[in-house]
Parts: sequence; C-alpha cells; structure tokens
Amino acid sequence: MRSFRNLFIASILAGFFLLAYSCTPGACFDETNAYMKASLFLDSTGKQTAPDSLSLWGTGMDTSKIYDAKVSLKQAFLPLDGSSVKCKFTIMINGVYDTLTAWYSTFPHLISKECGYTFYHNLDSVHTTNHKIIKISITKNSITNQIEENIRIYY
Amino acid sequence: MKRTYAYIISLLALISTSDIVAQKPAASEPHNGNIMAHKPAATEPPDTVVFPLAIRVGIDFAGPVIYLTDKNNLTAEGYLSADLNEKRSLLLGVGYANYKYSQYNYSYRTNGMFIRAGVDFNLLKPKTSMGKYWAGVGLHYGISVFTYEIPELSQENYWGMTTSSVPSQAHWGHFIELTPGFRAQLFGNLSLGWSLGLRKMIYSGGSKDTRPIYIPGYGLSANTFSAGINYFLVWNFRYRKINVIIKKEPPQEPDEDVTPQPNSGSGNNQKMEP
Repeated sequence: MRSFRNLFIASILAGFFLLAYSCTPGACFDETNAYMKASLFLDSTGKQTAPDSLSLWGTGMDTSKIYDAKVSLKQAFLPLDGSSVKCKFTIMINGVYDTLTAWYSTFPHLISKECGYTFYHNLDSVHTTNHKIIKISITKNSITNQIEENIRIYY
Repeated sequence: MKRTYAYIISLLALISTSDIVAQKPAASEPHNGNIMAHKPAATEPPDTVVFPLAIRVGIDFAGPVIYLTDKNNLTAEGYLSADLNEKRSLLLGVGYANYKYSQYNYSYRTNGMFIRAGVDFNLLKPKTSMGKYWAGVGLHYGISVFTYEIPELSQENYWGMTTSSVPSQAHWGHFIELTPGFRAQLFGNLSLGWSLGLRKMIYSGGSKDTRPIYIPGYGLSANTFSAGINYFLVWNFRYRKINVIIKKEPPQEPDEDVTPQPNSGSGNNQKMEP
C-alpha cells in the first residue's frame, strides 16, 4: 500500500501543477482590427504596382492621415467605421486626389478570450471618383482580420 | 495569485489526509471482515477476494475553493456512481456554473447546468483496490444547457470608438470527456479523490462570430479541447459483496544458475580425493 500512497501523493502534486499551469492567463497575439484591404494595380499593365506616392485619410479628417506620402505601398489597409454604414476616404495617388466610398454592414466577431471581440464587415459596394483612379472592383466581400484582399484599385 | 493560494491550501489538505489513506488500511485490514475473504496462507496466495460494490455520492470541492478567491467563477458539481463489478461503474454527474469575465474591451456572462454520464474503469487489481482504492479512467458524455450574453463590447480605431452588445441567448453544448484519476478511502465510508477532465467539444452552440467563450461543464471553449481538474469528497454506500477470482501466482521454479555442474571447476563440485 505504501507504493499506492506515494503514487497518490505524486498524482495530487501533478494535478496541482497542471491546475496552476492551466490558470496562467494567456496573451493576445492576433490581429484585432478588420481592415478593408485594397490592392493597387497599374491599369496599363494589369499588374499590382506601388504608386510613386500614396496618401490616404478619412474625408473630413485631413489632420489625421492613415498614409502620408507613402512609397512602395502595394496594398493599403483602410479602417472602417463600425458605427456607420458607409465610410468616405480621400486618396491621393501620385499627387492626384480621388474620393472612395464604401458601403457595408458591421457585426461583432469573437477572436479569442484574450483578444476579445472585433468588428467584422460585409462589404456591399464601393464607389470612386475617376481623377487618377480608373476603376475599382470588389474581390472579397467579407472584411475580417485575415490578410485577404477585398478590393482592387486600378490607376 | 489568490487562486494559487487556494490551490496550495487544498493541496496541503490533501497531502495531510493521504497519510491517513496510507496508514489506515494497514491497521484495520486484519479486523475488517468485509475486505478479505480469508486470511491468505503463508505460502499460498488467495484465489478469490471479497470485493464490496458501492453506490457513491461525490461532491467537488475545487470549484467552491476557487470561488472563494475568484468571485467571477463559480462551479458546483457532484456525481452519483454505482459499481457494476470490481472494474466498472456507471456515473451520472450534475453541476451548475456561473462565469463572468471582463477586460478592457468587453465583458461576458454565462450560467447554466450540465450533466455528464458514462462509465468509469478501475485499472487497479481487485486485491489492491479492495473497494477502497481506485485508479483508473472514466469515459463520459456531457451536455450543457446555458445562457450567455455580452453586455458590452467596444473597439477603438481611426474613426473613434465603436460599441455594441449581444443580448442573452440560450444554447446547448455537447462534449465527451476522458477522466483519468485517483481515489482513496480516508476512513469509514469517506473517500477522497481527484480526476483530470480531458474534454473534446462536439457542439458549442452559438454563431461562429459570437460563439460562447465559456461553456458550463466544459470550460473555455476557444479550443475544441479543454482540460480541467476536480477534487472530490466521496461517500460510499456499500450495497453488495462479490467474490472476485484472482490469478494464482505460479510457484517459483528453482534457479538453473545454481544447479551444480558435474564438470565445473567450482569449489563445491571438486572431486574428493581419498
């Protein structure tokens, strides 16, 4: 019975350490924002190409730019307003302004206990002016925290 | 940290009682007619033992101890089990859980009942177990009926703060669990034991976007696998005794290495010269 006693004590200790380990709080390592990912294409070649310069901000929020004269940018991440059904952006490609508008719906999505919830979007439509931008298309409606292209901007 | 203290206290309590577990049987066995069918002969092991079958009622005390240190996490559960024979017993467990969690960007509440049912297998030999000790594994199916809500969630980005909430909704959860563990008699009909709960989610309920974080009886549901631990105080009601045949130990054969060799050069086998 002594061996069973030792086994019992060892098992209790093992259980204790397992319990202590399982209660260690985790950390959030995931992306918690769901951006609308816009790839930039040169219309003349049909290839994804970074413009010489790109600036982007929410229309009416000129003082807070998302990108400010960014170079070598092939894909832009556009944050959407979760408390609205549309967002309007001013986009400047190679010094020429355009306005891009997106219509969408928003819903909460659980990432994990540690990261909490984020807001995903379902993209309904996009519209743009055509000063520098030639056309725009939706490639994936579902806007999540994954690195997946949602729209293509041809300039 | 508070939770760790609670575990240390329960651990010390368990270790101190395990001395009783180990010492009691040795002192009481010769006087307890329920345990041995007959006193084994000095040279021959017994070929049967009387094994008491019991109905058990177990109460988990890890949940209430954790609640003393963490008021956001209450789990109360117990079980009823009945021995079918010396190896198998049927188990029916019920419990209640109330779980709250909040951090900077959301809060979450859930509460509900759960049941689990299945079979426990004792891996100890009957002669070792004697109805007092149990080391084995259980295989159970669990069902959880619960409600959960997200009273507030928020996220800040370029455009400012977005807030929302998810109203209370009722769901069912299904899971299976494997419960390896140990149990030992403290004194009389009282036993103490612990078991791991290794659970695999079958169905968690809720939509894929706002699925529940915690499911009563299962635990955190972020993964399809969860692990937990229970410490049980168990009361045994012995209802029947059975004779269990145990294998006779084969008699030991003489060791061939010590057999005298006629032509060997060892001192024992030297020829005696007149």
